Amino acid sequence: MLRREAPINRVVLTLMALVIWLWLPLGSIAPNRIMPGTAYPLAQAVGWPLAMVSCLPLLGLLAVAWRPTRSGYRVALALTLLMLAALPFWLALMAQQLLDPELPQARVGIGAAWWLMLFWLSLLLIELRTRLALAGWRLALSFVPVLAGWWLAGKGLESLALRQELEGRGEAFGEALIQHLLLVGGAVGMSLLLGAAIALAMRQSPRVERLGFALLNFLQTIPSLALFGLLLAPLAWLSARVDWLSALGVSGIGWAPAFLALLGYSLLPMVRNTFVALSGVEPGVLEAARGMGMSRGQVFRQVRLPLALPVVLEGVRITTVQAIGLTAVAALIGAGGLGTFIFQGLGQAAMDLVLLGALPILVMALAVDALLGALTRRLDHRSGQTTGTIG
Amino acid sequence: MISRCLKRWAVPLAWLVLLLALATGGEWLEPLLRWSEPEARRVLYPQADLLTLLLRHLQVVAIASSLAVVIGVGAAILVTRPAGRDFLPLVAQVASMGQTFPPVAVLALAVPVLGFGTWPIIVALLLYGLLPIVRNTLAGLEGLDPGVEEAARGMGMGAAQRLWQVELPLAAPVILAGIRTSVTVNIATAALGATVGASNLGAPIIAGIVNGNTAYILQGALLIGLLALTVDSFFARLLSGRQ
Repeated sequence: MLRREAPINRVVLTLMALVIWLWLPLGSIAPNRIMPGTAYPLAQAVGWPLAMVSCLPLLGLLAVAWRPTRSGYRVALALTLLMLAALPFWLALMAQQLLDPELPQARVGIGAAWWLMLFWLSLLLIELRTRLALAGWRLALSFVPVLAGWWLAGKGLESLALRQELEGRGEAFGEALIQHLLLVGGAVGMSLLLGAAIALAMRQSPRVERLGFALLNFLQTIPSLALFGLLLAPLAWLSARVDWLSALGVSGIGWAPAFLALLGYSLLPMVRNTFVALSGVEPGVLEAARGMGMSRGQVFRQVRLPLALPVVLEGVRITTVQAIGLTAVAALIGAGGLGTFIFQGLGQAAMDLVLLGALPILVMALAVDALLGALTRRLDHRSGQTTGTIG
Repeated sequence: MISRCLKRWAVPLAWLVLLLALATGGEWLEPLLRWSEPEARRVLYPQADLLTLLLRHLQVVAIASSLAVVIGVGAAILVTRPAGRDFLPLVAQVASMGQTFPPVAVLALAVPVLGFGTWPIIVALLLYGLLPIVRNTLAGLEGLDPGVEEAARGMGMGAAQRLWQVELPLAAPVILAGIRTSVTVNIATAALGATVGASNLGAPIIAGIVNGNTAYILQGALLIGLLALTVDSFFARLLSGRQ
């Protein structure tokens, strides 16, 4: 029963993707930055013959979906990678066919069909990866053709609205990106140090543990927007009265309140995971280590720490992903970062500028999640311990 | 009977009364707020009635959370049935990806499609709140003692009957705990909606940041905090009553 019913779901999903790809707009052409564009579905954008060609891999997937075998999955993986690699070419083709050379300001916007296709293909890739148990260099290798395709297509996409926004503020973008990364890195690094210290203190006394968790839980319930705002006045007051603080560049707006708020939010997941990691090591293991004649310091360094590391890393992952998003909000209090583009774009109703801020944030969050997740699994595997907090 | 009932719900009710008092008659708070902002011309948020903002805030969270419950619990039930088991890893992956997407980014990306106003924040909250619900429903349904299902099957129950009368009631505490996490987090996150024109309790906070008026920010933050406490303690009662 399982064998017969499962492929039907897959076939339905593939058919849905086919309809979306042909029906929804692939992209839009706008005469300039502010005017809304005209949307074109695939067939209008590149013509029927090419649209049909673009559907061939999808039909191939449909055929493979009937046969859920290992070789079938391999074919599906190849087709998915092919479609991913070809994705930007359809936009480039559209730009070539529809852009009026008389209008140098004209630009190509990315449409719903394109985004949904990207999303659908990524989901497919994730599923095929688990099914084929791809990992490590083989996974990385499969991305080479995709990256090559995107790089090649990039040359034909000078008129992409996103790219024009980026070229208009190349330097500002680099600066914002660095500011964003510095804030996230600083807050996460600081919270790792502070969090470890607090977790160690908590292990010494249950009173400190209760008080600490109560305080950190309370901090977490304050909406991020409010915490950023509430720090404005006290910091402005402090920097007006303490000379060395204002010399450091601390003021009511800017990086200082953003950093403090980020630190406050990062502490709870960090302390929680470090605490759980340190107390979660089995007493028998410690007993055995002591029995082998290890000193206290040796037990901590050689037994406790390696066993605790995966759980601590999990805390770093949660904290970093959270901080990447929160830093975007910090742009509201003048902390800079990629959120600046989001709020500028929202203010000017220039959606491509919003995209320029939001897309890198999304990509960063997903990349950090994937990288640290993989690292955690790897360490976890090595130490042979199952902690149950992962996933 | 009534007094016992009252006693059980005393904590959430107390928070609710405090919340409503703050939303309707903030005047008695004025001296306190004045202390935080001695020079400002006014310290009470004037734009809109706080009670209206509170109701709108609650409405947005309620819509997003109900959608998240329907989609999350529905998807989790689907992938734990024999026909959908194939999709279990995929659904778990998508749900955890939903929480990786920063709400601000989702909010910003939703604006070109849905326009300014309330809908973008509903979409952002829906995505953000899905993971705890899906994760807990999966854990609840998968963690059931296989003997229980065997017994239900032995009693001649059909698949649908087993789901409604055995599996879901037994998994309910775990599912409810997931919904509780999701709703409480979303109450705080919903404030972000004010940046794209949704009028909710984030509005006083934004106004406070823009005008440099800490008293406005405090009002917004206090109301959101109290709302979260009220809802959370309500869920706590609900959960403890079930066990």
